[in-house]
Amino acid sequence: MFKSIGLFSIVLVCTLPYSAVAGDPVAGDKRYHQSCHACHGPAGKGVSSYPKVSGNSIEYTREKLQAYRAGQKIGPNSGLMIMMAKPLTDEEIENLSAYLKDAKYEK
Amino acid sequence: MKHVIKKSLIASVASALVLGGSVAIGAGMDVPMIKVTPVLEGLDKPWDMNVRPDGTMFFTEKCKGLSIRSPGGTVTNIYGMKGSSGYSSSGADLFCEGQAGMMGVAADRNFDKNRRLYVASTSNKYHGSGCKSNFERCDGNIVMRLTLSEDFKSVTDRTDIVTDIQYKPFESNQPFGGPGAHNGGRLRVGPGGYLWVAGGDRHRGVCPQSPKLLCGKVLRVDTDGNAHPDNNPPAGFDKRIYTYGHRNVQGIDFRPSDGKAFTAEHGPWHSDEITALVNGGNAGWDPQEMTAGRGSCPDKYCGYEPEQMDGMDPAVRASYMPMSDTRFADLMHPTWNNNGWSQGTSSAAFLKGANWGIYEGRLATGVLGIGFGGTPIGQRIDMVGITPDGLGINGISRMPLGFSKRFRGLVMAPDNSLYVTVDEGEIYRVTATSMQ
Repeated sequence: MFKSIGLFSIVLVCTLPYSAVAGDPVAGDKRYHQSCHACHGPAGKGVSSYPKVSGNSIEYTREKLQAYRAGQKIGPNSGLMIMMAKPLTDEEIENLSAYLKDAKYEK
Repeated sequence: MKHVIKKSLIASVASALVLGGSVAIGAGMDVPMIKVTPVLEGLDKPWDMNVRPDGTMFFTEKCKGLSIRSPGGTVTNIYGMKGSSGYSSSGADLFCEGQAGMMGVAADRNFDKNRRLYVASTSNKYHGSGCKSNFERCDGNIVMRLTLSEDFKSVTDRTDIVTDIQYKPFESNQPFGGPGAHNGGRLRVGPGGYLWVAGGDRHRGVCPQSPKLLCGKVLRVDTDGNAHPDNNPPAGFDKRIYTYGHRNVQGIDFRPSDGKAFTAEHGPWHSDEITALVNGGNAGWDPQEMTAGRGSCPDKYCGYEPEQMDGMDPAVRASYMPMSDTRFADLMHPTWNNNGWSQGTSSAAFLKGANWGIYEGRLATGVLGIGFGGTPIGQRIDMVGITPDGLGINGISRMPLGFSKRFRGLVMAPDNSLYVTVDEGEIYRVTATSMQ
């Protein structure tokens, strides 16, 4: 019986879409600093003409990053975002979405 | 907002640790102690400053307006933009959009007598019948002259002394394609008390080489906005133009030893540049389509071509769309081009005073940081040693600040300290102490 439940759980996890697996905010923080920090500023606070990207739901950020990665235009800086999102993996998008949800700039 | 100096922290680092370029450590070399202190925090996109001998500081926030910080630390908001609150007065025509907004600020050389300030901003007051598309004239960047009240709490007598610098009204098909792109916007008072206005190409191909449009130019005007009598642009050009063929100049200052003007400007995925200006000279930026071997380009602007949405070897891109096109006989060759990279050079200020030791006379140059296509982000302030003829460098050292941010505005204070704005919302004071 327990063996069957365990097997079922493993199968369930393996068949879930990737977005159902929680992202890692620590890994997201690291990835954010590699590609996003220079424009969007620390903790996604938004600087200069680049918008704030923190404080949104995981679903919202995931949807936007996936759209940019697919080459979809959303707003006037889409060209830049499409370029930056192109190399992101599903896992990186989940991690970034998890990090940005609660990221706060504390000066 | 936390308008209080609340800590004296960050870096207190012997710059000997980071010496680079051609400078070597040797006996008797005066490597100064450099220290950074926060002056203001929690600001909204601070852009530029001017510091008085008593420590009073004027500063702009791009989407809010002009304010004063007293020597004691009290901040008074004196002239706001449309929609801003808490200001003594405001201009309903002043707005911010994308890269545009309230930008440069400078004080008259006789400020103590006439209390005049000069401010660059975006305005909708002079659009007239233009601005219906990106392919026609749109006058939307202005320079205002303001008079500060005796109590330092308000300004009066606003006079718009330059009203016809072009603005980009609509989105276009470019990487940074939003409205309000490439305004330049730095103001400085130069030798003789004349006002220098640094401009940008506003993403319009014809701007930099146009004889009449003021986009993509550096202007030298008097305090009423009239051309300096010695400006020497080519025949048929607007006489206010000191140099033309620029892309986006956000840094300008004058070498203490001879008063020569130098600019710093952003490159297009390649070649940030410092340039020694020559009266009437051409900086060599010409992003028009069907020009210099190029075909048609998105929205008639070749500035990010070729393959503007993809990474590419900067040198290959530079050969197609050069920052300083050598086909121009009147080209001002760049002093420095950031090793062919574009990382977003912004403001620049010559380091004045013996307290800067071996760095005295170097051009401090702020870099915003843009990491694309394999280019390192590179947020930093460089201290660039420039050769006497202005055509090359003889060393670069990175200023040891202990942190990296988007360094937007740099200006020297009368006490020979360097004030720095960062896009993240802070203003810092950087001091240097001679070790001899």
